Amino acid sequence: MRKSSKKHSTQLSNKVRLLIFIVLGFLIYLLSNNVDELRVYQGAQVAFYVVGIASIILLTGYSGQVSLGQGALLGVGGYAAALSHLNWKLPIPLTFAVAILAAAGAGALLGIAAARLSGPYLAGATLALAVGLPSIANQFTALGGEQGLFFDVGFPPESLGEEFTQYKWFFWIASLATLIAIFWLQNVMRSRYGRTWKAIRGSEVAAELAGVNIARAKVLAFTLSAGLAGLAGALLAMTIGTVSPSAFPLALSFSLLTGAVLSGVTTLGGVMIGAVTLVALPEIVGTIVNRAGASEAVATNLPHIVMGTLLILTVVFVPNGPVEQMRSRRVKKEKSL
Amino acid sequence: MKSFNRRKLITASAMLAVTAMTVAAVPANAFSPKSEVGVTSKEIKLGVTLPMTGAASPGYNKVPAAMKAYFDYVNANGGVNGRKITLVVKDDQYVPTQAVAKTNELILKDKVFALVSPLGTANNKAVAASVNPGKRGVPVLFVNTGFSGFADSKKYPTTYALLPSYVMEAKIMAEYIKDNFAGKSIGLVYQDDDFGSDALAGFKSAGIKFATTVGYASGSQSASTAAGWVTKLKAANCDVVILFGVSSATAAGLGTAAALKYAPQWILGSVGGDATTIKASGVPAGVLYNAVGASFLPATTDTSDEYVALFQSIYSKAVPGSAFDNNVLVGMNSAFVTVQAIQAAGKNPTRKSLLAAIDSKGSTFASAALIPLNYSKTSHVGYNGYWFGKYSPTGDLKPDGGKYTVYTTDSGSGAVVKSTYKRPAMPAKGLPN
Repeated sequence: MRKSSKKHSTQLSNKVRLLIFIVLGFLIYLLSNNVDELRVYQGAQVAFYVVGIASIILLTGYSGQVSLGQGALLGVGGYAAALSHLNWKLPIPLTFAVAILAAAGAGALLGIAAARLSGPYLAGATLALAVGLPSIANQFTALGGEQGLFFDVGFPPESLGEEFTQYKWFFWIASLATLIAIFWLQNVMRSRYGRTWKAIRGSEVAAELAGVNIARAKVLAFTLSAGLAGLAGALLAMTIGTVSPSAFPLALSFSLLTGAVLSGVTTLGGVMIGAVTLVALPEIVGTIVNRAGASEAVATNLPHIVMGTLLILTVVFVPNGPVEQMRSRRVKKEKSL
Repeated sequence: MKSFNRRKLITASAMLAVTAMTVAAVPANAFSPKSEVGVTSKEIKLGVTLPMTGAASPGYNKVPAAMKAYFDYVNANGGVNGRKITLVVKDDQYVPTQAVAKTNELILKDKVFALVSPLGTANNKAVAASVNPGKRGVPVLFVNTGFSGFADSKKYPTTYALLPSYVMEAKIMAEYIKDNFAGKSIGLVYQDDDFGSDALAGFKSAGIKFATTVGYASGSQSASTAAGWVTKLKAANCDVVILFGVSSATAAGLGTAAALKYAPQWILGSVGGDATTIKASGVPAGVLYNAVGASFLPATTDTSDEYVALFQSIYSKAVPGSAFDNNVLVGMNSAFVTVQAIQAAGKNPTRKSLLAAIDSKGSTFASAALIPLNYSKTSHVGYNGYWFGKYSPTGDLKPDGGKYTVYTTDSGSGAVVKSTYKRPAMPAKGLPN
């Protein structure tokens, strides 16, 4: 049977996809040369949010497991990167690898426990992790206590010129890491494993009857998702130059979940939407409030209210996110033709 | 020949015209010294990051309004050399990631002249590492934390400490215990991190022996964990218990002990001894009654103090209905010292002249504190001492016998000495000139 042309319209070939990512990288490079220092810093922030949100989309959207403790896994990654840099003097790319491996290891352990839990129990267990894990740092002096540890990726190479700012360097590193991570994640999603996870999310019973080892698939999803979270944590640590327990609060886990819901939790396509919203919304609201001359109480609370409202509106009107919504509308239209 | 000369003349006059037009088009200030970031002829813009929302915000969220109240008072009286001072406030929720993001906004977007009173140790460390105000030459005045490290002018060249360090506080507290509770058995509850280890180091160097010590992990403090502390303290028969923690830990400790009818003589660290924050944690301020506390500013209820009286009247007009507590006093005092620093920086202040002014004249700045400032070319240490007193039934700290007895020391191995410092009279109307 011939492949239908419709399939081609949604599934790009690997070569084309690689080309798109390279073009995307080039566009980011051009962008970085044309915006000021604050914007490149925010770009680096968007990058680590993209990876963090992607880790939730992989876990929740594709394998159907819930994690309210993703922030803790970011913490594992951040601390692993900082410790390996401080103690072993590893070069930066290797510290990122260590972050990914350490968080993936923690994720595998968590995944083994998680595979026995589901629904609210799993949410509760991961929530406990988010609350408890960061304070471990206070118990061991090697982890730097409340003050945390420094994670200094160093100055940009001199060959880039004197005008080249530290934040542009962060932005380049973060963007490159993010592009590679998302490309890899897309590959995984289109592989046998991706299809297995989707089958589980659709119906565990049906998947099991079809011969899928549910527990193994779930643990694998948890491990890979944690690895991504670890990378996000290392990027976060890079942009703030330090790791400390308070950098990975419960609020971080919830922000990432919010970002994932805004992006649409069942598809990677909208991952930028959530990340950009998380970074830009507080600043936009702040600017508006300042211009309107509102009181302090309004100015400090409005960003939270707007974010909450946006979240509710998304859940009510576009539960699968804007990208999935548009796609399903298009598919419907094509079917009706 | 003639025509050539004429052409020469036309060229010359054209060049002259172009030059004249170019000169006219260039803004006038291109020839005067370049004006500094955040400073215009009418305004000086400052910025602050601190928790305005979230768990750590009660108490601290009153600081910006207090600072603004004093700045507005100065502005209404002619400003600093004719310039009005404005304060841009950013909420960091006590999260370092947010503190860095918001500080970047302040420096790169709002283009503030200097940062004033940014709060929190981990936050300030992250800002120093990522934003690097030292490298950018941005002054970070009077960080709102007692971590002794920020006074290190080599590591943080543009940062100035204001509060006495935790080490100083523990050393002076030890002296107070020797004077007042000699021979009693003493217990210590501390936060098990750098904050607590600074305190432990201070007590150790002062030679205090504890019957028992209870460390708690930051964030673990609650009524149920506090019940465990009380059991341990009771078992060790402590007559005197030092609670050297954050406000929520103080609230949990005092509240739980009261419920369990355990009543030793409490001594509270300055960080955790704030009645506003304790009340916000749902514990009545009455539990503070008769506890020993420390401060470097005059008592907030002491209206016979000229600074307190003036600040109270300014604050009650600016923020009607809000209680005048220690957070407000600290905020207004920081603003007061800031105004003097900017004034000392000259008619057209620059970031460089601001830093130089604090180094050279900072130790002579007037302030509400009963302790001198210790700024110099080699020292970024602010206050270095405390006085002790007891809490009233309404949770206000009052000096023993109505008289402030001030002790000073350093963050190292220096001795604790009774201070002979006499605070100079307040500048007329509280307006430094």
